[in-house]
Amino acid sequence: MPAGKPVIEAKDVFRAFIARADHGKRYPILALQDANLAIEKGEFVSFVGPSGCGKSTLLNMVAGIFQPTAGEILYKGKPVTAINTDVGYMTQDDNLLPWRTLRDNVEVALEFQGMPAAQRHERAAEYIAKVGLCGFENHYPHELSGGMRKRCALVRTLIYEPDIILMDEPFGPLDAQTRVILQDELLKLWDGTGKTIVFVTHDLVEAIALSDRIVLFSRAPGRIKQIYKVPLSRPRDVFHIHAEPEFPAFFDQLWRDLKEEITEVELRAK
Amino acid sequence: MAYTCDNQTMKGAVEGSRGQQILRETEIRDGALERKHNRDTRIGQALLGLGLFLLWELGSGTLVDQFFVSKPSKIMESVWGMLIKEDLLYHMQFTVTEALAGYLIGASAGLLSGFLLARIDLVYRIVQPFIIGFYGIPRIALAPLFILWFGIGISSKIAVAAVMTFFIVLINTIAGIRSVPVQLLQVTKVMGASEWDLNWKVIFPSATPFIIAGLQIAVPQAMIGAIVGEFISSNRGVGHLINKASGWLDTPGLFAGIFALMIVVLLMNYGVTVIGNRLMRWNPKYGNMREPV
Repeated sequence: MPAGKPVIEAKDVFRAFIARADHGKRYPILALQDANLAIEKGEFVSFVGPSGCGKSTLLNMVAGIFQPTAGEILYKGKPVTAINTDVGYMTQDDNLLPWRTLRDNVEVALEFQGMPAAQRHERAAEYIAKVGLCGFENHYPHELSGGMRKRCALVRTLIYEPDIILMDEPFGPLDAQTRVILQDELLKLWDGTGKTIVFVTHDLVEAIALSDRIVLFSRAPGRIKQIYKVPLSRPRDVFHIHAEPEFPAFFDQLWRDLKEEITEVELRAK
Repeated sequence: MAYTCDNQTMKGAVEGSRGQQILRETEIRDGALERKHNRDTRIGQALLGLGLFLLWELGSGTLVDQFFVSKPSKIMESVWGMLIKEDLLYHMQFTVTEALAGYLIGASAGLLSGFLLARIDLVYRIVQPFIIGFYGIPRIALAPLFILWFGIGISSKIAVAAVMTFFIVLINTIAGIRSVPVQLLQVTKVMGASEWDLNWKVIFPSATPFIIAGLQIAVPQAMIGAIVGEFISSNRGVGHLINKASGWLDTPGLFAGIFALMIVVLLMNYGVTVIGNRLMRWNPKYGNMREPV
């Protein structure tokens, strides 16, 4: 883990939401409590934990989409009080703009920055080639497969080189094969860039294969239960991550700790 | 290592391969099918139109008294007569001007105010019940009032057509803008979109299906506005012609006026549809990927 000042810090962060019962009564619920965390530059950190434990809530607060109810989130030492445009943000839905072709989607952030068209096209062509989408530049999102849309969303986020990339279950809806291939592509694209990645997932294998550290959240109302250092070296072979000698023991420990947080009901549902 | 697109072929097939041959054959077959579909549609429409006319022509005077329904041959005669004697084109120019001007004024006002209202939540909450209230009154009942205000000339009819158009476009614009997916806004904001970018590159395109639907529904409404204005008080326009024909119990003349209006509305609607299709190429419903033959 690289040493230095953290890029992201959460200090005593609480977040409440207003929910509405079906008879229309409004009541507050706690999504996250007492979160303290520091993430260093260049780290790949995963958030895991049961549903509704505040993983995405914390991520959204780093992006500045909403603010903590109490406590503060620091980005490079300064509190995040508005949308944080230094971050890249990728969610479970690809959120491509349906009225733009693949190329125009990949370029959109550069367009917002005001980069000249010629320069934009050149950069986009390189990124499109990196993820093997050549020949589909002029296709609209509805004409692409799920995996292709995901690749498009991935390079759209990477192309403007944000310092931090926040990923909220980005590979969630994909089939198992495409998922592993995209994990591999992500690691290759990230390797050597020095960018910080915060990655929310429900998949422990995915978390182990990708991360330097894993943050385990307790069940709702969520708090950070434990932080683990992944005992695997880099570069990683995501296709054979099970075969690493350190993998089984670490996976077992993680799963045991997570299992305590999954309620009986959830276990039975699975 | 620099990446380029030159050496990668995920989409097509290798030059001279069996795959490429299949792609080419599919393209040819698809073109032929497309032409056949278009031709079948045209033939079907022509047959249906002809059949309706024939039924009307033969049924009139046998099934129903010709005095009430006239017959196509008589109507065409009447259209021809009006074209020469009564200056149908002269009257049409007023009606078309009224409907078109009213439509353009109403549509742009509806678009603009819809955009502003929907984007400012507090304002929307305040005015929403008032809009529904105004929308709820039969707007056509305002026509006599507008003639009182703007006189019996062309401007009162433009006003009626504009009011007919305005509310439809307004309500559809608001619905479109308020249904923009929140995540799309969040993601683009994080990517550094300015307020201008958000409006023009995210919100407006996302709302276009609603807006186009509103613009299409409003076309005949604008025409109704202009015609009703002319019915109530005017000395020119197709509405005036129809009124006169009805006064003289001239059924063919009445239908001739209606026929002329129908043609105009069809043309206006065609214009809006062309623009709509152009703006919505990205929409799967208007899309271009489908199963080959």
